[in-house]
Amino acid sequence: MLINIDGKMCKGHAGETLMEVANRNNIDIPSLCYKKGFEGLGRCRLCLVEVKEGKRKKIVSACVYPIKDGIEVITSTDEIIKMRKDIILLLLLRSPENDYIKELAEEYGVKSPKKYKDQKNDDCILCGLCVEACEKLGTNAISFVYRGITKKVSTPFDDPSKDCIGCGSCAEVCPTNAIKLREINGTRTIWNRSFDLIQCTVCGNYYTTAESLKYVEEKLDYEEDHICERCKRKAMGSKFKESFQNIY
Amino acid sequence: MSLEIINSYPKEKRYTLAILQDIQREHGYIPKEYMEYTSEYLNLPLSDVYSIATFYKSLSLKPKGKYVIKVCNGTACHIRDSISILKELQDILGIESGETTEDGLFSLEIVNCIGACALAPVMLINNKYYGAMTKEKVKTVIEDLQGVSANV
Ligand code: SF4
Ligand code: FES
Repeated sequence: MLINIDGKMCKGHAGETLMEVANRNNIDIPSLCYKKGFEGLGRCRLCLVEVKEGKRKKIVSACVYPIKDGIEVITSTDEIIKMRKDIILLLLLRSPENDYIKELAEEYGVKSPKKYKDQKNDDCILCGLCVEACEKLGTNAISFVYRGITKKVSTPFDDPSKDCIGCGSCAEVCPTNAIKLREINGTRTIWNRSFDLIQCTVCGNYYTTAESLKYVEEKLDYEEDHICERCKRKAMGSKFKESFQNIY
Repeated sequence: MSLEIINSYPKEKRYTLAILQDIQREHGYIPKEYMEYTSEYLNLPLSDVYSIATFYKSLSLKPKGKYVIKVCNGTACHIRDSISILKELQDILGIESGETTEDGLFSLEIVNCIGACALAPVMLINNKYYGAMTKEKVKTVIEDLQGVSANV
């Protein structure tokens, strides 16, 4: 399939979303709730773009829009910018202190009118990426709870969760850094629960929780050496080097 | 713990809500242990069950009072000043909506249209409708119920 994004012809295949194709072609579409490797969630609506299909024109969310052959996409028009600004304004009213949202607002020249200040100050924009991450990489320890204005992401009963393995995937994917993950003296605290951290046997840095290691090992049925990602990569690199040296 | 209600369902995710509704009906709320058992029984993460249990207004995590008062605030009732009915109830009972009195007698809730607009403003106490409410009527109804309970 061939589609036209901002004048550039891009290849894609059926089932791919506009966001995926754009990303691959280094075309930037603003987003908060999209993360590479995850399915689009369509929650933040920042990724609005204009799609022309024959004579028809419509505005769609790029992260959930499956491409069709021959469509023409424009990632930024006056109308779209206006819509994005409205969305950013709402986000700014919700998270007035959040650095990421503030930066976004500045970029788009959005200021919040005084009269709405300030109902609530929450860093979480309820995009649900963390819930998704915990489902895919963790243990389904968190979910959306309650609804309407009381909706939030949490563990059941706001208690330290028995299921949580402290892997930190949720904090890692959060676009606004809303999930508090603290690490002090070999202890990681997340979602009101504390975990002992494990040291890398090579560099000695703390790098993961005992529970995460156990979880991965059980899943893979394989006992891992306790080596952090960085040292693993280093080891891999030098192995490569060695084998090349042997060739030449 | 009487688990028959849960055990009588097939172990499928789609029965989560039905199970929770049954627990609610039987206990007047969803006790934590029951939620945990439901999650084990259906092999569903506790977070999923909790998510559902907190989503629906008809499910409650806290024990409800013997009398659950639902004040309708649908359009028709709202226009007929349901808010003053609510305020009167809050004053008499000393609780906000969503709360239960300390003696466990009354819970107060605001609901959207209960389909009895002709009786507006209307309130519902344990499935009994009280129509064309006024502040004075509210007082009498509550006093009656308090009296009934005191005599038991
Ligand atoms: S740290 Fe806990 S809540 Fe967060 S993704 Fe990992 S298991 Fe889930
Ligand atoms: S990135 Fe598409 S809606 Fe958030």
